[in-house]
Amino acid sequence: MATNVSAHEHHYHPPGLQHQFEDMGQQQESASIGMWMFLAQEIMFFGGLFTAYLVFRAKFPMAFAAGSNHLDIYWGTGNTVVLIVSSLTMALAVHYAQLGKRMAQVLCIILTMILGATFLGVKAVEYTAKYNEGIVPVTGLNRRTPAGEAQAPVETAGEHKTGATEHAYHNPKGEFQWTDASLAKKAEDAGYLTSAEKAGYYANGVLDANKFRDKVRIFYWIYFAMTGLHALHMIVGLGLMAWLLWKAWLGTYTADYYSPVEMSGLYWHFVDIVWIFLFPLLYLLGRHFGGGH
Amino acid sequence: MADHDKHDEHGHGEHHIVPIPLYLMVFGILMVGTILTVGAAVVDLDHIFPGANTLVALLIATIKMTFVMLYFMHVKYSPKLIGLSIVGTFLFLAIMFAFTMQDYLTRSIGNFSN
Repeated sequence: MATNVSAHEHHYHPPGLQHQFEDMGQQQESASIGMWMFLAQEIMFFGGLFTAYLVFRAKFPMAFAAGSNHLDIYWGTGNTVVLIVSSLTMALAVHYAQLGKRMAQVLCIILTMILGATFLGVKAVEYTAKYNEGIVPVTGLNRRTPAGEAQAPVETAGEHKTGATEHAYHNPKGEFQWTDASLAKKAEDAGYLTSAEKAGYYANGVLDANKFRDKVRIFYWIYFAMTGLHALHMIVGLGLMAWLLWKAWLGTYTADYYSPVEMSGLYWHFVDIVWIFLFPLLYLLGRHFGGGH
Repeated sequence: MADHDKHDEHGHGEHHIVPIPLYLMVFGILMVGTILTVGAAVVDLDHIFPGANTLVALLIATIKMTFVMLYFMHVKYSPKLIGLSIVGTFLFLAIMFAFTMQDYLTRSIGNFSN
């Protein structure tokens, strides 16, 4: 019988096993618990924004519905499909890594990257459209009208609201050019404005387009913060994929060692789950009121 | 000393490989869920009770999330500890929502409103 030392020296060591772990299984389990702890804090991190959404939507539901109806439902649905397909290709990448199939793995990672980039591209198109309409909060501040002229457009906008002339509307603050208060009017006529909403939308006892605009602006703040943070996660995910692609191409991942693929997969699926909730909450919440753009 | 050369049957090692047809099935469920979400959103369910549209949307989203977690993220084949962590996280999320809303929703009650 050999001594313990020599027994250890001859002991088979899988190439990917770090010395602090007993075996590959334990290493794998530790990695996935660590990853899940990270995802748990990510859930709480996004949870803060969901809480903000909950608070303001509960207070100003019609302003949220109006803002939501203005988002493009086709781009939104398309992006949801793109992200779900990317989740499938990511799951398949993990599957092929588990089987140690190098080329299939590389192909799935490339597909995932293409789909992720497509998602970001669509997001960019949507953001650009909103920017051009002047309804991205803050970004219009550089277009602030000079102090002397600031008053005039507001006055005419108020007068021409019911008139036939199409006068260019300017928010006196120079940003967030939103004029449409029709949904609030509709809700007022139907009698479902709550007292909190009335306090938010009314000036001197009547519905005020400017006050309504400011509440829609809250929706767009939340929209850009949430989808922006989500897009940032997508960009980080693409970075991870690029790294994975390189390592997978080198043939690093085998049936014995594929933790990095699986952990990146967990991250990618998490980002997909966030979108699964963002999509109905941001794009679809007021569609049944009709009158979308 | 325990023999480390052999695969430990009671250890952590069992890697479950999810078959591709199961992945495709979950994918199908997610696509159907997406179509249902959009379909349900344009129908006025709020006449049944206020907030029905939102409830249906969140219900579908939760079902979709459950499938992604169980199969794509392998929670079904993972140690119970991971499942417990997830449930715990959502519990804390629920606490955050509930404690925030019990404040905001009751602000118009009493002498504090304006």
